[in-house]
Amino acid sequence: MSIVPKETIEVTAQSIGITNLSPEAALMLAPDVEYRVREIMQEAIKSMRHSKRTTLTASDVDGALNLRSLEPTYGFASGGPFRFRKAVGHQDLFYTDDREVDFKDVIEAPLPKAPLDTEVVCHWLAIEGVQPAIPENAPLEVIRAPADNKIYEQKDGPLIDVRLPVKHVLSRELQLYFQKIAELTMSKSSPALFKEALVSLASDSGLHPLVPYFTNFIADEVSRGLNDFQLLFNLMHVVRSLLQNPHIHIEPYLHQLMPSVVTCLVSRKLGNRFADNHWDLRDFTAKLVSLICKRFGNTYHTLQSRLSKTLVNALLDPKKALTQHYGAIQGLTALGHNVVRLLILSNLEPYLSLLEPELDCEKQKNQMKSYEAWRVYGALLRAAGLCIHDRLKVFPNLPSPSPSLLHKGKGKIISAEPRKRKLSADSSQNQLPHKRLMTTTDGLRPQDHTGPAPMHVDKPMGKKGNESESRHQNEKERGKGRVITMKAILGQIWKDDLDSGRLLVKLHQLYDDRILPFIPSTEMSVFL
Amino acid sequence: MDPEQLDEFVMGYLKKKGFNGAAKQLQEALHNNNNNNGTGSSSSFNSTDYHNDPELTKLIRSFSQSENDPTRYRNGYSNLRSWAYNSLDLYKHELLRVMYPVFIHCYMDLVGKGHTQEARAFFNSFRKDHEMIHLRDLQKLEGVLVPSHLEEMEFARSLRQSKVNIKICQYSYDLLLQYLHRTESTLMLGIINEHINFQVYSGQPNSSSDDIDAVTIVGSFQETADHVNQKEIQWGLLEDSLEDRLEKTGSLLTDSEKGQGESKDGDVDDSNKKRSTEIGKQGSSLKKLKKDKAGNATAKVARQETSTVSPAPRVKSELALPVMSTDVEESILEDLRNRVQLSSVAMPSVSFYTFVNTHNGLNCASISHDGSLVAGGFSDSSIKVWDMAKIGQAGSGALQGESDTNDQVAGPNSRRNYTLLLGHSGPVYSATFSPPGDFVLSSSADTTIRLWSTQLNANLVCYKGHNYPVWDVQFSPFGHYFASCSHDRTARIWSMDRVQPLRIMAGHLSDVDCVQWHPNCNYIATGSSDKTVRLWDVQTGECVRIFIGHRSMVLSLAMSPDGRYMASGDEDGTIMMWDLSTARCITPLMGHNSCVWSLSYSGEGSLLASGSADCTVKLWDVTSSTKLTKAEEKNGNSNRLRSLRTFPTKSTPVHALRFSRRNLLFAAGAISKPTS
Repeated sequence: MSIVPKETIEVTAQSIGITNLSPEAALMLAPDVEYRVREIMQEAIKSMRHSKRTTLTASDVDGALNLRSLEPTYGFASGGPFRFRKAVGHQDLFYTDDREVDFKDVIEAPLPKAPLDTEVVCHWLAIEGVQPAIPENAPLEVIRAPADNKIYEQKDGPLIDVRLPVKHVLSRELQLYFQKIAELTMSKSSPALFKEALVSLASDSGLHPLVPYFTNFIADEVSRGLNDFQLLFNLMHVVRSLLQNPHIHIEPYLHQLMPSVVTCLVSRKLGNRFADNHWDLRDFTAKLVSLICKRFGNTYHTLQSRLSKTLVNALLDPKKALTQHYGAIQGLTALGHNVVRLLILSNLEPYLSLLEPELDCEKQKNQMKSYEAWRVYGALLRAAGLCIHDRLKVFPNLPSPSPSLLHKGKGKIISAEPRKRKLSADSSQNQLPHKRLMTTTDGLRPQDHTGPAPMHVDKPMGKKGNESESRHQNEKERGKGRVITMKAILGQIWKDDLDSGRLLVKLHQLYDDRILPFIPSTEMSVFL
Repeated sequence: MDPEQLDEFVMGYLKKKGFNGAAKQLQEALHNNNNNNGTGSSSSFNSTDYHNDPELTKLIRSFSQSENDPTRYRNGYSNLRSWAYNSLDLYKHELLRVMYPVFIHCYMDLVGKGHTQEARAFFNSFRKDHEMIHLRDLQKLEGVLVPSHLEEMEFARSLRQSKVNIKICQYSYDLLLQYLHRTESTLMLGIINEHINFQVYSGQPNSSSDDIDAVTIVGSFQETADHVNQKEIQWGLLEDSLEDRLEKTGSLLTDSEKGQGESKDGDVDDSNKKRSTEIGKQGSSLKKLKKDKAGNATAKVARQETSTVSPAPRVKSELALPVMSTDVEESILEDLRNRVQLSSVAMPSVSFYTFVNTHNGLNCASISHDGSLVAGGFSDSSIKVWDMAKIGQAGSGALQGESDTNDQVAGPNSRRNYTLLLGHSGPVYSATFSPPGDFVLSSSADTTIRLWSTQLNANLVCYKGHNYPVWDVQFSPFGHYFASCSHDRTARIWSMDRVQPLRIMAGHLSDVDCVQWHPNCNYIATGSSDKTVRLWDVQTGECVRIFIGHRSMVLSLAMSPDGRYMASGDEDGTIMMWDLSTARCITPLMGHNSCVWSLSYSGEGSLLASGSADCTVKLWDVTSSTKLTKAEEKNGNSNRLRSLRTFPTKSTPVHALRFSRRNLLFAAGAISKPTS
């Protein structure tokens, strides 16, 4: 009925000495009490408005009472907030805690500090419509963009260079879209749907407003989800889709995106379970890196140098895990043959000598470790192979002798792995002249791309052997007819480019022992 | 129901409703009827025809069945509501307009019949529908719980006594009637008949945007407002104003001087310099007011018919205006010459005076016309006046506002930087400077207005007249006269030399919260808690315009310099632009989300500045409206004015704003939380 319960009326009546108030009377009084209280409050609010305040104070109520010639309330002028205490044993009875104060204490207490006197200070709120960046203005903590807090946190330091953050308004649709994508990325349950989402991300226009949110999302999730292999993979797919989208201008956000990408490349541990094929993730990310460098290398000059520095540091630190080395090698390989030549090949010899003991099955008891070492070895081999191939391709006469071969090889590889990079397929095929290199790279490639089941780990050597052998049955047949021409070309190359030749020889020396068992006899003999 | 019962019921009904005369007649008629029945002729009295009309019988029966059942209101209303919400979109908004009056009258009926509990339940279950538009009214009505409150409360009484006007298109009206008849919801029909006055028009329903006046208004009040608004007003500027004189002299200026003036106008980027001159040039010259020029004044009481064709017609003053001393006039002319032209592309500079260490006690702030003096009225009944020019000089000449407070407090030459004016015995609610800055007027909760001299730093006069706290006081644009408004629902006109008011303007239905002079001094505008703004003729004391449209109490007013438009700001943060001659709202300016404490037009009227409790100063482009209004009026659609800029402060609600004559914008406010 009334918001003032009749109990309140009874209690109030008791407090002013009316003990025989009948419940009916209390019930009758309650609505009227509410009405009067509302009246007083209405006047009090007017008083508050005219004091240009937005909080009601006890003095406003006193003012309202004064207007009606009523006695003001006493004891509320101290200004401190009231503390209501619950009466013990009652559900909803409260009272204000009214401490007894000893006069002596009050008198003897030292005088409080005099309050500061009122002053007026003036500043420019705006000069010709522009707010100057002075400490009196620009309350950054009041208006803050919904996202991108990081950017503004950095800006908090020097107040001089303050820019007002632009308020970022996202439409409801975009918010929903973002939410949906984020959910899909996190959920991992419906790969088909996720694939659709990636397509949409890569092609839809009008997603640009979401880019900062996506970069934030990716950065957050990568740092949080390093143990979740599938999540990381999904995130990298999202990155790739964003990069592919022609309507998105992602450049300003690259600096936020790159750490996450590099993390997925060279992190010590990606994924938690044994079954997680983090090699795949690293390869994929390496491709992403190369994509980024190709697209933004021109506009973002320091990008590649900084990236390669990071990767080389990871590679040359012997304390880092082999997985990290692998990632670094893949990343560097993706950056192109010049980088490989400068940064990997120059360090190849000492590195291989370090890797040697790990590779040895007898010496390295830990099969996991040895497997990892082999992966690294394979990656190195591939890097070197790509490098040497690219160098040799420079010669104008190289492509001409083997067009048929090129076509044939391409067709084959593409049919087997339609989605793989053409370039790498191409290059591996073209490496045939250098049989030794070719075979080793080829021997490794199937494993790189098909992704061995984790159970194969216990016999890495055997598996590799088998696979490469079966591969090389084909190679042999194809290669036989070409051996002669290849040989001629090789000779040519060595003649023309001593440098490349020397490199080749060096590589041969380095890889020699390990390679020999895998090289089919015919090609080997040609080479030798 | 047999005829006997029916007669009885009709009798009871008439008696209950207090139609004693009718009841008596009926009784006589029945009596005669019975007699006539005996004689066999019943033709002479048609007053009892309802026996033969089945429709009417049904109606009466429904009355008798459930006269006192409180649930009928709930059911009837909720049915009507769901019907209205499910109606066609095109007519929906018109039909929904009907809901609010029906709602409040259902509630008041329930309360009036003593069903307090049901009334409360009914109110709470449907209040959400109306909260958006009618929140304040609902808050008032919520407290009404017993029939006596209905009598006591003015608002409820006025609602009960008057009808609501609702504009509705023919089709919607038919729909509504059809529905009410079909469902036999006589109760709703009764309420609608009793309290709503439909203005049916043919054609398509209006767009829902212009329903501001369609919903808020109590009918009879609307009629008086319409009536009042028919009166003619002369909104033009005064003849022979300083601006005119400037134009005249400007035309006589040599080319070189003109060029100089233009270069000054263009010299906006050097605002630091401008500011220093602005502040340095304080109102130093004491103006001698030649009071009561009335003796030799040509008593221009008769209104001159001025043509409204020219952009700003000239009118003669109805008041005897004080004579300005020549040096004051010179300084004003100088200011006008140096005025920066403002527009939507040329923004003003804003200088902000922040009150610190006010301990939540600052009730009002005021800035003198040249911006050099700042006065604050405090809840401890003191007034403090700062001379910013002096402070600027003391603070090593640095006027940029970086002057540290502590330095000033500890300054060796003076203990206080301000002039303390003590005299009031209650919170000071308003302060205003006379145009040359030599006097300050203050109004207080102690019901008095006091006049202070800034030269003598002393109280000169105490004006007693209001019976309740005086909320606002404003000097007229030419000084000498001032207007005040109070909780006692009146506004009063005073002159400095009389301790009694010259005019009392009564008519507002609630507190008069703010007052503002028209630039030609012939009118004042008042804003009130009754959510209206009124314009009063100063000479006659009559109300000449009522502006209806605000949804909460009006807190600030400003008049455009050409005297044609008025802006008013309310508690919810809405600013409305009014055309004085038509009393229509040109467009509401939405943007603030809290009380608009202060409004100010720029010197040439192209920009409007608003200061709000949401700690922002906003600039609005009002030129587009003034130019387009004529076309708009023809088209009938309103063009939304643009918000140009928003300047947020660092948690300082903006209490006062003033454009100086040179178009520098001054703002003042107390920082709401301690810095550092």
